[in-house]
Amino acid sequence: MCPALPDQVIEVRDAGPVASGPLDFDGTALLDGAGELATAALALARRFAAGGTMWCLAPGAPHHGRHIAVEFVHPVIMGKRSLPAMAVEESNDPVASVRLLVRPGDILVVVGDADDAELGRLLRRGDSWGLLTILLAGGSPPQADLADHVVRVGAIDDGGALLAYHLLWELTHVVFEHPGLLVGPEPVCRDDVCITCSDEGRVVEVVSTLEDATAVVLADGRRESVDTSVVDEVKAGDLLLVHAGLALALIDEPG
Amino acid sequence: MTVSSSGVEPTGFLYPFIEAEERDSGPLLVDLATSAREKIAASVQLKTDTLELRAAEIESAAGAMADRFARGGRLYAFGNGGSATDADSVVARFRRPPSGVALAAASLVEDRAILTALGNDVGFELIFARQLIAHARPDDIALGISTSGGSANVLAGFAEAARRGLLTVGVSGYAGGAMAASGDVAHCIVVRSDSVHRIQEAQDAVLRALWAGVQAHLAGPPR
Repeated sequence: MCPALPDQVIEVRDAGPVASGPLDFDGTALLDGAGELATAALALARRFAAGGTMWCLAPGAPHHGRHIAVEFVHPVIMGKRSLPAMAVEESNDPVASVRLLVRPGDILVVVGDADDAELGRLLRRGDSWGLLTILLAGGSPPQADLADHVVRVGAIDDGGALLAYHLLWELTHVVFEHPGLLVGPEPVCRDDVCITCSDEGRVVEVVSTLEDATAVVLADGRRESVDTSVVDEVKAGDLLLVHAGLALALIDEPG
Repeated sequence: MTVSSSGVEPTGFLYPFIEAEERDSGPLLVDLATSAREKIAASVQLKTDTLELRAAEIESAAGAMADRFARGGRLYAFGNGGSATDADSVVARFRRPPSGVALAAASLVEDRAILTALGNDVGFELIFARQLIAHARPDDIALGISTSGGSANVLAGFAEAARRGLLTVGVSGYAGGAMAASGDVAHCIVVRSDSVHRIQEAQDAVLRALWAGVQAHLAGPPR
C-alpha cells in the first residue's frame, strides 16, 4: 500500500548514497543551448508548416527516437496539432534507410554522441538531401557545423536529451501561435548562385556516375549533374564539394 | 516553482495586432529562449526536489528490488507512450549498466507482435497483465510508469503482479492518481507537479535513482 503523500519534506533516513546524491544532469549544458533550441524550434515549425516530416534517430538509445515521435504525433496537451514524426530504428545502415525515406523539406532529428562516425555520415548528407538537421549531442563537443542546429545535452541517458526534445516540442507549438512567422525567409540554393554558401561551395551526395567525367548528385534534394574531371574516381554515395557545377574535392569520410 | 497547467505559455497576446503580418522573428526568438531557460530551471528544480523529498521511498523500493534480484528475480517494466520509452530506457540501464552489475530486466512494451495481438484480441487494458500471467514468478519485480497514475493497463498490470506475489513498484505523477491509492502497489514514488513534461523528466531521474539504489545495495555490505 502506498503511503499517504505528504507535502512536507520527509525526513531522510538511511538513504542510498546515489538516490539522494546530486543529479547527473544539472541543466548547465542545456542552458547554454537555449538560444539554439529557440532557433531550431522556429526552423522546425516552418518545415512542418510547409509539409515536412520529422525523422527521429537515436541509434545508441532508440527509445529517444520513439519518444520524440510519440511526442509530436500524439501531443500530451489537448488541442495541440498532431505533427508528422517517425522514428527510424536502423542501427545497421541508417544512411541507406534515411536516404530512402526522406523527401526534400523534411527534418532529421538525431540524438547521439557527436563523435559517432555513422551519425556524422548521416548528418553531413542533410544539405544534399534537402533536410533541416538537428543534433542533440551527447559526449564530446561536436563540430558546430555538423548539423543545422546543434544542442549539447550531456550524457545521452542522463536526462538532458529528454528535456531538450520536450522543449523542442513545447517551443515549436509556441511558434505555431505566430502564423506570420511560419513562412520563413529560409535561404535556398538555386542553380549556380548559392545564397547561403556564396562561393564556398556545397556538399552534395553522388547518386550515380556517367562516363564523361560527370556525376548525377543531389543538391538540396534535387538532382543535378556536375563535372568530376578534377577529382579522383567517384562512386554512388560519395560526398563532393561542388561549386558552379564543378566538383572541387572528394570529401574524405572517416569510418 | 511554477509550471503552467498547460505546460506551454501562449505568447500570442503580446502581439495582438500583428500576428498574421508578423515578419520579424527576433522578439519571438528572445521569448522562446527565455521560456526554454525557465523550463530547464523548473525541470532541474523538480528533479532535485523529488529526489530529496522521495529519498526514503526510493531507497526503500531500491532495497526491496535488490532483494528480489539477489533471489534471482527478473524486472518487468511497462508504461504507455513516453512512459513506454522510459520503461525501455530503464530496462536497458539494468541490462547494460554504465557501471555495476548487469541485471535481468525485460520491457513489456518491446514486442510489437505481442502488444498488437493482445490489444486486438483481448483489449488494450490487458496488454501488460496478460504478459505478466505468462512470465511472472513470485521473486520478480513489476515496475509500472504513468505520468497521471491513472493508466488502466498499468493498474491492471499491478493487480496481476500483486496477485502473483511480485514486488510492485510504481512511478506516478500529479497527486499520484489511482496508482498511489492502489493496494496493489507496494512502493509508489510520486512526482508532484502539474506539467506532464516536467513530471516525465523527474520520473526519468527517479528511475535512474532506483537503478543506482539497487546497484548500491548489491555492491555494498549487507545492511
